[in-house]
Amino acid sequence: MTKSVSQESPCLAVNLAGLKLANPMMTASGTCGYAYEYQDFVDLHQLGAFVTKSISRDPRPGNPATRIVETPSGMMNAIGLANVGLDVFLAEKLDQLKQMRQGGPALIVNVAGHSIDDYVAVAGRIAQEQEVDAVELNVSCPNVGDGLTFGTDPKLLKELIGYVRKAMRADCKLIVQLSPNVGDITLTAGAAIDGGANILSMINTYTALAIDIKTRKPRIANGTGGLSGPAIRPLAVYLVSRVYREVAQKAGVPIIGMGGIRTWSDAAEFLIAGATGLAVGTSLFADPATPVNIMAGLESYLAEQDMSSITELIGTLEMPVR
Amino acid sequence: MLTATQPQSVSNTRRRFDAQVVSNTSVCREHFCLTLGIDPDERGPFPATRPGQFIQLGCQPATLLRRPFSLAGRKDLAEGRVELQIVYRVVGVGTRWLAQLQAGDTTDLLGPLGNQFQLPEGKSLGLLVGGGVGLPPMFYLAEALKQAHWDAVAFVGALTEDLLAVTFGGSEPAESSGEPSLCIEEFSKLSIASAVTTDDGSVGLAGRITAGLERYFDTLSEEDRQRVVLFTCGPHPMLHAAAKLAQKHGVDCQVCLEQAMACGMGTCQSCIVQIAEPDNPQGTTEDGRPWRYRLTCTDGPVFNADQVIF
Repeated sequence: MTKSVSQESPCLAVNLAGLKLANPMMTASGTCGYAYEYQDFVDLHQLGAFVTKSISRDPRPGNPATRIVETPSGMMNAIGLANVGLDVFLAEKLDQLKQMRQGGPALIVNVAGHSIDDYVAVAGRIAQEQEVDAVELNVSCPNVGDGLTFGTDPKLLKELIGYVRKAMRADCKLIVQLSPNVGDITLTAGAAIDGGANILSMINTYTALAIDIKTRKPRIANGTGGLSGPAIRPLAVYLVSRVYREVAQKAGVPIIGMGGIRTWSDAAEFLIAGATGLAVGTSLFADPATPVNIMAGLESYLAEQDMSSITELIGTLEMPVR
Repeated sequence: MLTATQPQSVSNTRRRFDAQVVSNTSVCREHFCLTLGIDPDERGPFPATRPGQFIQLGCQPATLLRRPFSLAGRKDLAEGRVELQIVYRVVGVGTRWLAQLQAGDTTDLLGPLGNQFQLPEGKSLGLLVGGGVGLPPMFYLAEALKQAHWDAVAFVGALTEDLLAVTFGGSEPAESSGEPSLCIEEFSKLSIASAVTTDDGSVGLAGRITAGLERYFDTLSEEDRQRVVLFTCGPHPMLHAAAKLAQKHGVDCQVCLEQAMACGMGTCQSCIVQIAEPDNPQGTTEDGRPWRYRLTCTDGPVFNADQVIF
C-alpha cells in the first residue's frame, strides 16, 4: 500500500497517556513565568501545552543575586524556586491560565516541595481544578527530612509518587520530571513508573559549577547551578533514548523530551530518540517564538520524510547492534 | 501611545525586530557606538521609546542569550524606519562579537523593554550623573529633558580619560574647579554643560563623580535645589554614592540599574534587586528595612533611589 500523497500538512497532534495535544510543543517549567508574560512576543495559544514555573506550598523569594551565568552554549541558574506560593497562585494566576487553556494549549502546573507532605498538599489541591490537565513534579529538591534529593533516590521517589498520585484527581495526569544527576536514570525512571507516573519528562538541569578565577568563588551566589541549553542536548537525547528503550516503551509511558532544544532538527532528534512531547526552555529567553518556529520546521521535515503524522517518527532510532 | 495619524493596525507592542547595522564606531578604548536601523514589520514601526528603556540584542552565534543595552538615542526616519543607538564596552564574548559588526550586517533585537525615567511635575532641573557605561542612557535623557523644557547639567565620570565614551569639543573641561562647561558634544549640542571627573585626574576634576556633584550642590541656590531631580546610571557603588548625596541635599533621585539577565521580559527571575517594601516583605535588612525582590527588567530598570537597598 502506498501512502496517500496529500497536500495537507503532516499532523502534529500527539497523545500523552490520554492527554491529547494539538502538537508536541510545550514550555519548560521555570522559563515561561506563570502565564502571559511572553504574550507580546508569541501567540502562546499555538502551543500544545503550557507548563508553569514550579509552585511550592509557601511563597519563596528565591536565592540572592547572582542567579544566572552564561557558559559555552548553555546557561547555569540557581533561581531557588522563586514563586508566589500555592495560595497566591490559585487566587491570582490560575484564572489567566484557564483563559489561555480555552484558546488551545493543555494546562500543566509544575509543583515543587521539600517533603512528601508538601508535594501531596500542593499537587492534590491543584489537581482539584478541572482545567488542570496535568501536574508535573519537580523532584530535584532535597527532602528536609533526610536531605536526600527525591529525584535521585529510587525508593524515596516511588514512595513520593505513590502518595501524590493518590491525592490527585484521577483524570489529572501525573508527570514526573527526572533528574540527570544520577548514576543510572533507568532506575529512577522505573521507580517513577512503578509509583504511578503517567508521563515522564526529562531532563531537568545538570548540577554544575562555574568559578570566578579572580575571586576564586562560584560565579553564582548559591554556589552550584543547574546547567541547561544546547550544551546538554546530546546528553539529554541519550538519556531519553535509554529510558525509552529500556523502561518507558514497554510500560506504555510517554516521554516529554527537553534539554537544549532550539531548532526543529533538535526537536526531531528527541522524537526519534523516543520523546512524544517536546519542551523548550532556555531558548525561550532568547526568543519566545522558538516553539512555534520549530513547528513549521517539523512539518516540512515530516513531509520530506513522507510521514503524514509526527507519531510515525517517535522512537524510530536505529542503534547499532552490539 | 497611538496617535490619530497612525493607521489602526499599527501595534505599539514590544516584540522581536530584525535590525541592520548602520554604523559601529570606536568611541574610546574598549567602547563602541552602534547604530541599528529597524524597518517596520507587518505590525508597524518599532514602538515609541523613552529614556531608561533598553533592548535585548541578539549576539548569535557568539552567545546563546541576548545582551541588554540601554538606549542612548533614537531617530525616526522616513517610512517608519527607526534608528536606535547604543554605546557598549567590550567586556566579554557577546560584546566582542558586536565589536566586529560592520555597516550592513544584520542581527535582531527584542524591545522596547523596561520602564523609563520620570519627569515629575514641579521639577525642572535635571542632574544627569553617568559613570562609565552608565553614560549612554543620559544622552537619550538629555534630549527628553530639553524637549520638556527642563534645565540640565551633566556629570560625567570614568576611571581614566581614555575610558570616557564621549566626544570632547568646545570648551576645555575644568580641571581643579569641577565647574560644568560646554565641553562634551553629546550634551553641549543641547546647551547642557558637563562637569568631568576621572579617578586618575587625566581629564577634568580628579576624583569620583560625586566630588564634582558635591561642589555643584554647594553652588546651588535654595530655589534651584527645589527644582532638582538627580538621574543616574553606572556602577553600583557610584549609584549608591549619588543616592546618598541626593538624600543629604533633599533632592529626588532616580537610578537606572544594570543587572545580568537572561530574558529581559520578566520570566527568568535572574535580574533581582532588593526594593524597600513595608507591605508584604520577603526579608529585612540588618538595619531593619523590609524588602522584596523586584526585577530589573520589568519593574525597572529605573527605580526611585530611596527604595533601592544598596
